[in-house]
Amino acid sequence: MKKKQKIFYLSLEKGDLLPMLLMAPTILIMMVVMIFPLLYGLYLSFFKVGFGGATVGDFIGVQNYIRFFSDTTAQKTIVNTLFFSVGAIAGDMLLGTIGAVLLNKMSRALGNICRPLMTIPLLVSPLIVGLIWRYIYDPSGILYWLLGHVGIGMEQFPGTSSSATALLCCIIAQWWEVVPFYIIVLTAGLLAIPEDYYEAAYVDGAGPLRIFFRITLPLMKNVYMTVLVVSGVDTLKIFDIIYALTSGGPNNSTMSISMYAYNQAFVISDMGYAMALSVIAMVVSFLVFGIPFLYNNRKSIT
Amino acid sequence: MRFKRKWYTKLMMAAITAIALIWTLVPVYIVISNSVRKTLEIKEMPPKLIFTPTLSHFEKVLTLDNFGKYFSNSIIISLSTIVLTILAGTLAAYGLKICKSAIGQRISNVLLLGKMVPTITVMIPLFIMFNQMHLTGTYVAPVLAHCSLSLFFVTWLMANFMQDIPNELLEAASVMGCSRLKAFPLVVVPLLKPAIASATILVMQSSWNELLFSLTLTNIKTYPLTVGVAKYVGALSVDWGKCSAAATLTIVPIVIVGFFMQKYLVSGITAGAVKG
Repeated sequence: MKKKQKIFYLSLEKGDLLPMLLMAPTILIMMVVMIFPLLYGLYLSFFKVGFGGATVGDFIGVQNYIRFFSDTTAQKTIVNTLFFSVGAIAGDMLLGTIGAVLLNKMSRALGNICRPLMTIPLLVSPLIVGLIWRYIYDPSGILYWLLGHVGIGMEQFPGTSSSATALLCCIIAQWWEVVPFYIIVLTAGLLAIPEDYYEAAYVDGAGPLRIFFRITLPLMKNVYMTVLVVSGVDTLKIFDIIYALTSGGPNNSTMSISMYAYNQAFVISDMGYAMALSVIAMVVSFLVFGIPFLYNNRKSIT
Repeated sequence: MRFKRKWYTKLMMAAITAIALIWTLVPVYIVISNSVRKTLEIKEMPPKLIFTPTLSHFEKVLTLDNFGKYFSNSIIISLSTIVLTILAGTLAAYGLKICKSAIGQRISNVLLLGKMVPTITVMIPLFIMFNQMHLTGTYVAPVLAHCSLSLFFVTWLMANFMQDIPNELLEAASVMGCSRLKAFPLVVVPLLKPAIASATILVMQSSWNELLFSLTLTNIKTYPLTVGVAKYVGALSVDWGKCSAAATLTIVPIVIVGFFMQKYLVSGITAGAVKG
């Protein structure tokens, strides 16, 4: 038996080429569409590059990066993106947890109806999510018509027309789209907790809230971490929703780093600076999500 | 064992469920119903629940604005992306599986690092590269770009599903004289069918709905639906009638496919996350 296993699992060290050969197409594609562009982009960020890169201009060293530190708008976009990320993830987690607990307690028949309906937002393009919410937030639109009945108008909640609340509006639109994802993952996580734990806690006289905080949450920690790595990262890349909902306005209050770099590259046609900005965006992404990722990775290897 | 619930707990649960369903479905209803309302009725508040539907927006969008072509572009681009990523990803995952397993495990976790790279960071250099290679405006550009979004994830997903295939089965195959290469189509792929279905629906929704790459790497001949919709979005005003019709054309097919592949969608989303 031992010998047979060896025939099947020839290791890399013995000069076995088949695994490498099988991985070759993936590695090749990733080289072309990921590794090489990243290196090329890093290289370009040290140059003055006009539109389309047809004219790679002078080497200007780190000036594109220095410019970032004097560009207050660019710094603001980073802050906006981080705020968006925190708000979006916090809401996703909270609403997702409530939804998952609820779905778990539901009778099976009702759950079977709710679950497919719930996945619809997941399948809608983020661009269209932004568009739908733009219609909802319209000053003469449905939201203000509803709020009018309880006496809330544009003065109390200025929506997307004021820099104070516009980012919140984008965050709410993101909740609509992503909360179902959290519900699905967290429901599966809840199902993985053995029923005995709950029984034991119940016998010991713990109430439902106490059970949730003492048993459910600690056991779900890993699921939360994974969700954070798999879905939380996307919040830092936010582009589509904002593109349709506010186009970055008013007064750049919803401008995300991706959106700003896009505008620098394709509206103002300064691709060198846009590249420097997007490299900074990547560094921010690694700094923010590197820690949960490393934590997660270490856990699953050992 | 279930806790006994008081009537007010039940009532509260029912209320939250109702709110959640309204919250989820009303926005979708808004866009679909607006696509068949007359232009003037769209802005009317309160919205009429009963109205005479009109297909004029669809007519305009499909005939004047060429959405039929965008629709087929979207299908071509997302199908090619699906085939390419699943083919390459499954092969790579099998490669990881037959490596000494420790290395495979390590690599498959590192694969998730790719998700952390912002789309914009890859998009700008890719745009310049494809421009110099005269690939912008062909299907190759968006398909390859969409692969950069999905391939890492598909490989990781497949590697995760492949862990469930018992080693004994592969050993048995090898005892029967099945080479490792032959075992792939004969043993591994049949067992991976659900995983392939999951990857299909997940890649499809990411490619079908993708905007940033499509916006820059396509031209009028290869615009997918999302770009067509984006063209209607002005900074100041939006033509809601046409926009809703175009959005409906984009939403409805993917929601129908998603509905029928519900089971695989859910198992694909949870597979990686819960196993960690």
